[in-house]
Amino acid sequence: MNDKPEKLIADDGLRLDGRHADEIRPMKIEIGVLSRADGSCYLEWGRNKILVGVFGPREAHPRRSQRANTAVIRYRYNMASFSVEDRARPGPSRRSIEISKVSREAFEPVIMAELFPKTAIDIFVEVLQADAGTRTAAINASSIALADAGIPMKGLVTSCAFGKVDGQIVLDLNKEEDNYGEADFPVAMTQDGEITLLQMDGNLTPDEIRKGFELVKKGCKEILEIQQAVLRKKFETPVEEPEEEAEEAELEVTETEPSLEYATEAAAVEEVIEEAEELEEELSEETFEACAVDEEAPECEKLEEIIKEAEAKVVEGEVIEEVIEAEIEEEAFEEEAEFEAALEASFEEVSEPEETEAFKPEKPVCEEMGFESETEEFAEEAEVEEEPELEEEAGMEEEPELEEEAGIEEELELEEEPQFEEEAGLEEAALEETPESEPEVESEAESRETAPAEQAVEAEQEPEEEKSRGPWKVVKDPSESGSRGENDE
Amino acid sequence: MSEIIATLKKDYIYNLMVKGKRQDGRGFKDFRDIKLETNVISKAEGSAKVTLGNTQVLVGVKLQTGTPFPDSQDEGVIITNLELNPIASPEFEPGPPREEAIEMARVVDRGIRESGAINIKKLCITVGESVWIVFIDVHILNEDGNLIDASCLAAIAALMTTVVPNEQHGIGQNVPLAMKELPVGVTLAKIGSKLMVDPSLDEEAVCETKLTVVSGSDGAVAGMQKMGSASFTETEVLEAIDMACEKAAEIRELYLESLVRQE
Repeated sequence: MNDKPEKLIADDGLRLDGRHADEIRPMKIEIGVLSRADGSCYLEWGRNKILVGVFGPREAHPRRSQRANTAVIRYRYNMASFSVEDRARPGPSRRSIEISKVSREAFEPVIMAELFPKTAIDIFVEVLQADAGTRTAAINASSIALADAGIPMKGLVTSCAFGKVDGQIVLDLNKEEDNYGEADFPVAMTQDGEITLLQMDGNLTPDEIRKGFELVKKGCKEILEIQQAVLRKKFETPVEEPEEEAEEAELEVTETEPSLEYATEAAAVEEVIEEAEELEEELSEETFEACAVDEEAPECEKLEEIIKEAEAKVVEGEVIEEVIEAEIEEEAFEEEAEFEAALEASFEEVSEPEETEAFKPEKPVCEEMGFESETEEFAEEAEVEEEPELEEEAGMEEEPELEEEAGIEEELELEEEPQFEEEAGLEEAALEETPESEPEVESEAESRETAPAEQAVEAEQEPEEEKSRGPWKVVKDPSESGSRGENDE
Repeated sequence: MSEIIATLKKDYIYNLMVKGKRQDGRGFKDFRDIKLETNVISKAEGSAKVTLGNTQVLVGVKLQTGTPFPDSQDEGVIITNLELNPIASPEFEPGPPREEAIEMARVVDRGIRESGAINIKKLCITVGESVWIVFIDVHILNEDGNLIDASCLAAIAALMTTVVPNEQHGIGQNVPLAMKELPVGVTLAKIGSKLMVDPSLDEEAVCETKLTVVSGSDGAVAGMQKMGSASFTETEVLEAIDMACEKAAEIRELYLESLVRQE
């Protein structure tokens, strides 16, 4: 390390570690390696060893660090004291503070922090062994850990550096190349090629930078493929594998039908439909019974009829009172009074029969079906809607112009009827709802019924899943992976 | 640096950008007025004050003897520190340096170190035992945007006027600090899809992200740093590099080369 090798790139174009100029060091990624972290990743890249844990979104402390409209992203890059040749002093150095800042800014464009206001998303990076390119390695690992934690992102962030060694542009510098090279240019980019981190030190011409960008894009693409493969392994539920390892008789049957890839699912769906149909029949029987119960209580209906009529009369009484007041105020206009009398008469005609008709049959049924609150609402609505209209009318009557008034009143009279009809229509609709409510209840029951069915399907699939998970050996915490696998489905 | 800006102002600056204008009437490639004073602090071995619009930055250079790093026994040491003095802005607080301060200091340091501005071999007194340590201390006196370019310019100007105090230590005559290169930092702010040099305080608050490019007199880039929480496209980066190199050359010619002639 103390002596600079004579040549960092041999005459045949190979670098000290045998790589070509455009080759990255071998990368190995493990996902979900920490049980307490929400997401974690262990990454080895050449001789770099990086461990990343992601926590959150969780409550941001101290509270003044909270942001009302978005989550705060915190990134802590820390080097273990034993990670480098000479022991590093523990704790944040100026270098690690800078790297933490630029790395955080590399993730801010992709993390959808606005979904989690007032929270913090913590990314903790531990560099266990450093061998040049730790910030890029840490970003690659953090990307995976964030995905493992289920934090919504617009895409993965991939990072790679290029540099200049012996006057030549090369990809992904190792320690010797970093120490004795002429330039180091770490870049992080999204899947779409947006550059989210860019640093550089050394000596490069703009043309060399252009050339370097091409290399970095190639490197990032390769890394992205590795990242995606790792995530697929963990989160993708394979479809074919269960068939290969099938032991149960049902599954063997599906195996004999290779054309039907989704035979098991289809069977499960059919079952669910059958069960639902059975349930429908049962339920319709039940509702018939319920209706029968309704018919047994005609006395109740009569009682309510009487109550309704009484209520209607009270309302009328109020109206008449108002009308009388108006009359007293405008005694001079006798003709008006005649109109009003006519109006009252029309009210009696219109409101009484409509109301009683509307409310009678509906109520008991609804009560039986447990829709009490709704009918109450309807009744209230009806009252509320009626009263103001009538009052308005009284107000209109107070106006002195007779001829116009007459016209308006007539219109109103005419209008009123359709309104009542509309109400009646609503009520009819409400009535209709009672039969309609059957399917509603059914659908609920159906969903309730399908849930166990689904569970059954899941129960069938679960053991297979575990089996299929076996060969990967990526996940060390089965409980965590289990829950994630299910969520993914 | 300031995070709070009125939405109205933000929209105003953004709309101006769409029309190709800026709040203070500058073009996208125009710096604010630059004023450079050197040797402002006689106690320091070298000093410079840069006024960039309303931004004021003072740099003092001090030299001390010390031991070299084991891996570079015949080379002097450069230590750059930047302080966001609370006098400069209501948002700066006393206390340990914030990450912005550390980042800026390191960008200034990288520009000087990587471009080879100082001939560090000439700072060696006795190989492996004693070398000059150059302390570059950047003091921000008034913040009105684009601290980093002002700091870069002040730092290099201060270094150009630095005298190595050999006489104090009885090792010969005082000599000017040996310089090899004049790196100049140019920061470009990205607002919408446009890049503009020398962002003012408001523009910094509005901009999505910034890119600082430090380039030498040969047109080569010595250091770059993306700052801010948004992304650049590759084309934008390449455009920024070209723009920065062009502006850096102008500034070098206008302000620094006159200093060389004075020496």
